[in-house]
Amino acid sequence: MSEARVERQQPASGATLLVLVGLGVAFALLVALLAAAKTHSGPVYGEANMLYAALVLYAGAAVLYMGYGVAGIERYVNAASLLTVLGFVANTAAVVHRWSVAGRPPFSNMYEMLLSFVWTLALLTLIAERAYKVKIIGSITLPITVVSVILMQLLPSDVRPLVPALQSTWLQVHVTLAMLSYAACALSFALAMMFLIQDNMKTQAFQAITSAGMAAVYAAILFTRFRAGALSVTAYDLEAKSEVMVSRGHPLFLQIPDLGWLYLLVLLSALVPLVLYIVGQVKKDAAFIDAASKGMFVTLLLQVAGLAIFIARVKNGHYGSPEADGLYSTALPANPFLMAGMVGGIVGGLLYLLLLWRREGLQKMMPSADDLDRVTYKIICIAFPLLTLMIAAGAYWANQAWGSYWSWDPKETWAAITWLVYAGYLHMRITRGWKGRRAAWFAILGFAVVIFTFFGVTYLLPGLHAYAAG
Amino acid sequence: MGLKSAWTKLYQTLASVRTGIFFIIVVGIFSAIGTVILQRPTSEPGDLQRAYSPETLVWLDRLSLTDIFHAWWFLLLLTMICVCLIFVSADRWPNAWKLYTKPVRFASPSFRASLPQTVKFAVTDEAASLSVAESVLSRFGFRSERVTEDGATGLFAQKQRFSVFAVFIVHLSLLCIFAGYIVDGIVGYRGNIMVPEGQALGQITLRDNRGGQSKKTLPFLIRCDAAGEDTYADGSPKKWWSKLVLIEGGKEVAAKTIVVNDPFVYQGIRIYQSSMGQSGTPKTLTFAATPAAGGDVAMVEVPLNGKATLADGETLSVLRWVPDYYIQDNQVFNKSDDPENPAVQLGLTNAKGETKKLWILYSQLNSTKGQDAPFEFALKHATWAQFTGLEVSHQPGQFGVWFGVVLMAIGLLIAFYTQHSRIWAAIAVDDKGGNLLWLGGTTNKNRERFQAKFEQIKTALQDEFSKPAAGNDNKNEEKTLTKA
Repeated sequence: MSEARVERQQPASGATLLVLVGLGVAFALLVALLAAAKTHSGPVYGEANMLYAALVLYAGAAVLYMGYGVAGIERYVNAASLLTVLGFVANTAAVVHRWSVAGRPPFSNMYEMLLSFVWTLALLTLIAERAYKVKIIGSITLPITVVSVILMQLLPSDVRPLVPALQSTWLQVHVTLAMLSYAACALSFALAMMFLIQDNMKTQAFQAITSAGMAAVYAAILFTRFRAGALSVTAYDLEAKSEVMVSRGHPLFLQIPDLGWLYLLVLLSALVPLVLYIVGQVKKDAAFIDAASKGMFVTLLLQVAGLAIFIARVKNGHYGSPEADGLYSTALPANPFLMAGMVGGIVGGLLYLLLLWRREGLQKMMPSADDLDRVTYKIICIAFPLLTLMIAAGAYWANQAWGSYWSWDPKETWAAITWLVYAGYLHMRITRGWKGRRAAWFAILGFAVVIFTFFGVTYLLPGLHAYAAG
Repeated sequence: MGLKSAWTKLYQTLASVRTGIFFIIVVGIFSAIGTVILQRPTSEPGDLQRAYSPETLVWLDRLSLTDIFHAWWFLLLLTMICVCLIFVSADRWPNAWKLYTKPVRFASPSFRASLPQTVKFAVTDEAASLSVAESVLSRFGFRSERVTEDGATGLFAQKQRFSVFAVFIVHLSLLCIFAGYIVDGIVGYRGNIMVPEGQALGQITLRDNRGGQSKKTLPFLIRCDAAGEDTYADGSPKKWWSKLVLIEGGKEVAAKTIVVNDPFVYQGIRIYQSSMGQSGTPKTLTFAATPAAGGDVAMVEVPLNGKATLADGETLSVLRWVPDYYIQDNQVFNKSDDPENPAVQLGLTNAKGETKKLWILYSQLNSTKGQDAPFEFALKHATWAQFTGLEVSHQPGQFGVWFGVVLMAIGLLIAFYTQHSRIWAAIAVDDKGGNLLWLGGTTNKNRERFQAKFEQIKTALQDEFSKPAAGNDNKNEEKTLTKA
């Protein structure tokens, strides 16, 4: 159906070309950044190189998918699809290589889990594209894969032997199911967002959501890392390639002076559009809404500046800690939570800009609202049983390893909350006929909880799962 | 308000999905709070003191927010979800059972009007057209039966009718899981025990939710014959193992070498490898033996429960090991298990079997000098026994939990991947008095897929009726497709 619509599409205008060029430049910058952040060695077919190839291919595909969204050229989507397939092949090679080197499936730490997550997401995207004809899905999922692979480049990737607790087949079953179900949840989120776009939700409302999301990210960063104006980061020994530990399980935190204030400023700037939007809604004054729109650009620029300054200060400089004498260095790999938050905020902002500028074009290319609503539901019907089995396998493993199938540790509890949210979605949908916008919001809430369970619990809450951070 | 109307009201409230969702949301919110506030069972006691001011902590404790998951009101909330599950299921059961056992078999005219998928074909021969419909339906996997009511004949076919029970299976599975959890809460226990190599112990320290130190005696003794840690080349732990023997009534009843992730199960009691370390009990002690008559100093290694032979044929054994001694009324006592300040009583036995007892009080004088013996002994070295940290749990309810999990997997499979489809056919009469074959169908979920199937059946029927052999006049064919 998109083909018929595309014919009516106007050719790319000056503004859209500008966006494309902007995206290209952003990508080039990212690649340069990565080259600086990490140097590769090992065989050409090795994991690091394969992953790098996957990154480049996925990033190309993401740009093309977004270009398809922006300019509406069918050619783009075919090329994007091809790049995704190639990226998937490289990704598979990376997974296989790691599996063979480690002698076990790659699920034991954050890096390996992201590796599997990206693989699953790319696979699901290809399936969604071919089986359900949802071509635009790549413009949301591919940027997620790119961000994930970038994060992986920053995480410690050396193959570490498994500590005794992790040597279990059930654990691998558990994590495989987790990856599959989380990827399905991510897909349902993307589809629900597309539904809201297709359902003619106001662009300003998306702006408010984006603003709230960014504010939440920076609030989380400041909540955990703000120390009297300084930003607290994990110390990293560049020569030993490991975190510096104060004692077992307690990494050494360094304080980068003044960076905390900058992030407080970023938080405030992210809140401004949200507040202006709310005021505008209450006073019914369009002037506030316009100002909110400008505020989005300001906060996005500040966030990019914040990320750049963060990288610069992390890479050059030694910082002190109240816990130990002397100066220590730090590195990007040691701070995946901060990186994920910042990059995620910027990507969210860019997606919003895409919507702001090319809303009509995007809407013409997407499947109808009804189709999106239905497919979201179907994907959740896949995600929910997987989620259930994932929790069951985890409980079985816990029973083998720790002596109890359920001990209410934060990761378990949040997995149960995720399950409850999706159970709520299914009940409302099936028994009370919740469809459309309410169901879409429910699906978005579900994915927000998934994100918290995946990242938030590991980095924000204490728990038995602390070794997943390594 | 009468008792009956009060019951009706209560029944309606508990049987509504809305009430269930309300409790689910409340449980979700309190669970989330329980992951943010430090919980006593999963934190070190000092952590809470550091994290909260004393006044706050008093209130958190009073509201049991520091142990939400074992608080009576949280368990009540979980119970309320169970109660809602039971009421909701009971409320919907009669309908589902009727649908399963006594479905509407004959499509009366008013029933026909209510169906989402219908189609009509003009036919001449009623009986023949029903047969055609029968064969077409069976080709699509719908085995139909002939139904007669008020002198009219029709067809009824259904597929995957067990699908109506999916929701009950899922709800029942949740009840099984909760029931298992509750059983474990009441009769189950969890605790830990440290067993040094070579010893047999049978008393565990229970993992009390309030951080208490209550003990429980197991029906058997656990003897650790050996324990150890294997490491990777880089020194990180690869494997913790313990060779365990269970002793019941003085007899060895079972033995197994356990590792992490592979517990020992005996009579419903599960023993897990949880930690490993060095105990304060020595395996062997090494003494320097200096002959009183003069001569070379010899090193003698004595196992704690064994003996060693000296150069002149006398044997040396360790009679008492006191890790942290003190002296009162000229007697040696122990004050802790840490080998901070050890005392050793040695037994020196000569060829005649006479044993001389000698003391080494390490912190005073590391020697038996002046105790009138052919040798002077000094403690030089000790090798320490490993202890194995075991987690012991008895959770008989877990079988309910696992049964529930399997049941839930089956229930969800049925719920999401099967659908109950029903198709009816009947002979009707059109406005002008001509005969019609009416076909209608409905399903309980996945309408799009059923719609597609129905279209295929329609096309197949059309083909059948338009075959010249049937002798029908195709011009008279009338068909309508209406969507509800």
